[in-house]
Order: sequence, then structure tokens, then C-alpha cells
Amino acid sequence: MEFEYLVDGLVRKISVARENEVLILREGEAELRAEVLPLSEEELFLTVDGRGHRVFVLRDEDRTTVFHGGREYVLVHPRRADGAAFRGEEGGPEGGVVKAPMPGKVIKVLVAEGESVRKNQTMLIVEAMKMENEIKAGRECVVRKVHVSVGDLVDAARPLLELE
Amino acid sequence: MFKKILIANRGEIAVRVIRACREMGIRSVAVYSEADRTSLHVQMADEAVPIGPSPAAESYLRMDTIIQAALRTGAEAIHPGYGFLAENAQFSRRTAEAGLVFVGPTASALELVGDKVRARQTMEKAGIPIIPGMKTAAGTAEEFKAAAREIGYPVIVKASAGGGGKGMRIVGREDDLLPALEAGRREAKSAFGDETVYLEKFIQEPRHVEFQVLADSHGRTVHLFERECSIQRRHQKIIEETPSPVLDASLRAEMGETARRAMEAAGYTNAGTVEFLLDRSRRYYFLEVNARLQVEHPVTELVTGVDLVRQQILVAAGERLAFSQEEVRQRGHALECRIYAEDPGQDFLPSPGKIRLLREPKGPGVRLDSGIYAGWDVPIFYDPILAKLVVWAEDRERACRRMAAALDETVILGIKTPVAFLRAIVTHEAFLAGRTSTAFLKTYFEDWAARPSDPDGLRLALAAAAYAETAPRSKPRYGGDGRTPESTPSPWASLGPWRLGGD
Repeated sequence: MEFEYLVDGLVRKISVARENEVLILREGEAELRAEVLPLSEEELFLTVDGRGHRVFVLRDEDRTTVFHGGREYVLVHPRRADGAAFRGEEGGPEGGVVKAPMPGKVIKVLVAEGESVRKNQTMLIVEAMKMENEIKAGRECVVRKVHVSVGDLVDAARPLLELE
Repeated sequence: MFKKILIANRGEIAVRVIRACREMGIRSVAVYSEADRTSLHVQMADEAVPIGPSPAAESYLRMDTIIQAALRTGAEAIHPGYGFLAENAQFSRRTAEAGLVFVGPTASALELVGDKVRARQTMEKAGIPIIPGMKTAAGTAEEFKAAAREIGYPVIVKASAGGGGKGMRIVGREDDLLPALEAGRREAKSAFGDETVYLEKFIQEPRHVEFQVLADSHGRTVHLFERECSIQRRHQKIIEETPSPVLDASLRAEMGETARRAMEAAGYTNAGTVEFLLDRSRRYYFLEVNARLQVEHPVTELVTGVDLVRQQILVAAGERLAFSQEEVRQRGHALECRIYAEDPGQDFLPSPGKIRLLREPKGPGVRLDSGIYAGWDVPIFYDPILAKLVVWAEDRERACRRMAAALDETVILGIKTPVAFLRAIVTHEAFLAGRTSTAFLKTYFEDWAARPSDPDGLRLALAAAAYAETAPRSKPRYGGDGRTPESTPSPWASLGPWRLGGD
């Protein structure tokens, strides 16, 4: 089976085959043979070259997060993602739907529907854990819709504003 | 001794105090807001009392509600932890007026050390070195010039109404003084509506060194040596250690004695900390008193063998300190890393949310003071501290290695934490060389980003991800921690309602 993941901005194409409990991974010339024992839904025990690794795997819709050996690897699923994940989620809102950078509480709404905003203008302030976070416009645009008001609790998935 | 204590706090520090109570045979009462109903401190206490809605102002800061909870549950004392009401003189006073004991300093000592100007005057009178500066803020240009010459350049222009760096200007020579005064006044005026500025000596790349003090109510005050807390982000400490890599025996003894005298001058009792700035020529200046148990208290506990929370409770109960200054010894080296719910790769953006996986580090010399568990939702309402990883080893180099290994073992998934960032710091050559100052992170870690650089590790990760993708969501076959209450089928969950014993 073929898989594609986006890791640190690079697409990694791999193919995997299984022979009983041994998983064979090929990436270009490289090959890795691992005996895999699932410990739980989120934990695997992988034996590679006689060495055992306890690996944590968290699956989300757009990404798989793997942790082992003191490192966290974020593997983005390009095929299933709507493209937003592929571009990465950093950088200010440049248009379209603006989402919260973190779960929190809306403490200020500084724009109204129909209002034109300048680049870097603060549109909203969301507070979490005693830290205020300003949400700024990534470019000059018009606020089409304001979905939240002061006091609303928001999570990272909920749309705050729509811009055009 | 008390039979029951109420802990007016949450998170890891509430858990820490509950543990001390349990060991002393004292029953503990937790208080909790709506957001904290399922928190670890609530589970660990002998009793738990709801005190209101999630925002701290409506729960953890409600003095009367908390005092009422103590009276209703029959607690005899209140331990405030750190933050919230810990340094609130009014709370200390009201607790006493209700016939309860406040585990901390008296209201009058809290008032004195909490007032920066009065504290500074008291210390100056007691002969404690303070940062040289102007005594009065008003003055002509000539008076400012004379003052700057007396203080010695570089000086810093500060706003009287100040805070947050607004109105601050660093001046290296006399020619730049007047323009800096004007700019500082303008900025102060627009930020605080008050253009008053004054001058203070500017300490370049200072180290932050503090001394732990314990004082009983019978006149004995001892210090328990220093902690160096120079590694800070946004003026908040993230790594602390003891001993400080820069103090030698004589400077340590001198600063410790100064800290002791400072607390005596303030009429201070219980546990407290005297903070100093140490400049590059190893001159030290009194900064302030932290009138509480501090976040970083465990490093002191590990090198001195003194349980500070236990001592706080003993002192509050009126007992005498059972040891003298000469009997306190520093042994080995201890380091603490603070694990916050935040993303060091995105300017320390807070990262509340559900902890989906948690594996805690273990091993010789490893201590984790934690307020979290897998499956718990880290609320958005409070300070982002989750846990403190503390290690002890024979010397600093070994302590750094032990910390790096313990951080490698630490798995917290579901939210962002600085575990990898902390590991990068404690393995950085400048840190290992002891070149710690408050400018450390700015100098060496300004654009830090976590990058999995190890290709073998990445390939293993890809294999695991692909396996998880193809595997049917099977039941676990080999046990493991499986601390994932949501997804792992548990016999308890499938049994339905059940009772122990039956009645």
C-alpha cells in the first residue's frame, strides 16, 4: 500500500507491505522491517533490528502524531486534508474563514460586518490562560461575517470571522 | 498540630500541599471551580468543596467563600499555595479574624513586602544593597544629569506609573540622556496618563538569584541557600537550579546572611524568598520579597533535604524550627523544568485542551510535581503550568544529563508543551557552561523550532503511522499503560453501574 505524508514541509512517499506481524516499509531505496505489536489503540511496540521501541500514535482527521525516542513527529495527511493542512496552519489569516489560534474566550471584537480592515489591523482579541492573543488581518480586506461576540468561548475549530 | 487544612488553590501546587498533609496525618480539603470539577487535586483531597464558576475572580479569588468553606468543613488552617490569594494581606487578615490560621506570613509582613517603595526603604535602612536610583522622580534636566552621574552609566529611564516595559529607555552616555527622558515621558504619558519618570542603574544581562528563607514565630530565621532562576521567557521563569553556577562559598554565605537579615527587618515569618539581581561583576542588589511558597521550591528541598511545605505547616502551628543555620547543608545539584501548556514554536502561545496521552518520567533522582492526568481537559481559565520536572544528581553536569533523559521519557500528547524546547536548553553548550542570564533565551533561542532531524526516527514514525492506518481498530493485546479512558474499552465501563459490597 502507498502512503503520502507531509512532514516539515516535505512530501514523504512510502509503501508498506505486511508479512504476518512484520511490516516492511520502503521509501525510495531505504527499507525498514519492523515487527509490530499493538499495545493499545494508541501505543505500538515496534522491534527493529532487535531493538524494541514503544511508539505512541495519535490519529486525527488531518494528521497523525507519532511520539517516540523523545521526539514528536507530525505527519500531515495530504490526500484527506482539504488543502489547508497541506499549506500548514501558521501565518495570519489571509482571507476566507478566520479560526482561533487556540481555545479561549473572546474578550474584544474590534471589527463589524462590512468594515474594511488594513493589513495587520487587530480584529479580535482571544484570551486563554491569562494571555491575550490578538488576531490580525493578514491583508487588506472586508469583514463579511462576525460569528462571535464578547464573552464567547471558542475552540480552535470554530470560525470567528469571514473575510473577503 | 492541625487535624484539617483547606488548600485554597488548584493544580500541581494543591496536589503538593495535599501530599504534605497526608504524610503529616492532617486531613485535606480541596476547593474547586466549575472548570476544575474533575481536576487531580479534587480527586486527591479527603474532601472537596465547590466554590463557584470557572473564572478565578468568581472562585479561587473569593475570600469569603473560601473562608466559609474552611469553617463549614471544620478546617483549622488555610494553605494558599502560590498565586491567587497567597500574597493577599487582606485574605491573611480575614482568615485570622475568622479564627483560622493562615499558612504564610502575617498580614502586616505581607503589606510591608508587597509595597515596593516601603520594602525598598526598609531594606535600605537595614543596610541591604538596593539598585542605585533616584529617590525622587521630579527634577530639572540638570538634576537628572547629576543623578545619572552619581548612579553611573548605563542608567535606565523608568516610568513611575510603569510596568510592561512602557516608557523604559536605556541610556549609555550623557549625550543621550535628554532625548531618552523626553521619549520616556511621551511614552509614559500615552500609556499611563502620567509622564513622571525616574532613573535607575541599568544592570546588564543580570542573573536572577534568590534565597529561600524560613522563619518561625520565636525569632529564628534561617536561609536554605539560593536558587538561580535566570532562564526566563516573558519575565517568567522556566528553568531553575541550585546551587547557582556562579556563586562561590563566600558570596553565597554573604548573600544568604543578607537575605536572612532582610526577612528579619521585615518581621517576616513562615517560608519566603528574597530575590536579588546579580550583575556581571558579581555585585548583588535586593529586588523583592516573594511572600509565599514558590513554584521552584522543590530544587531547594532536593539539595537541603528539608520539606518546605511541612515546615510551613509546622511554623503556622506555632512550632519552633528544629534546625539552626549551621545545620542546613547543600548537597549535590538540583534542576527544575516547568512544563506549561504552551507552544514554544509559536511564541509560547497557550495550548489548553485535552491531554490524550501521558507518560511520566521515572528513575533515580527524578521527581514530577504534577496536576494533570491523561483524559483531563486543561482549562483555559488559569495559569498554564501543568507540572514541574525536578531532578537531583551529584553535580551540575550529571543533573543536566539526568534532566535531558527524563525529558526524553516525558510524553504529553494532545496539547503543546515545551518538553523538546526544555531539552534543547539543558543540552545547549552555553547552559552546560553555566552561562545563564536573563538574556539567555533571547541570545540563543530566539527562533527555535522543533525539528525531528533524525531520519531513522522519522522512518520509524512513518512505519507506525502507516501501520495505524491499515490496522483494524483492534482491542489491545499486550496491555501497556493504556491510560486512555475514552478509547480503551475498560471492564469497568462495560460492566454498567456497580457497587462495592452491595447493600
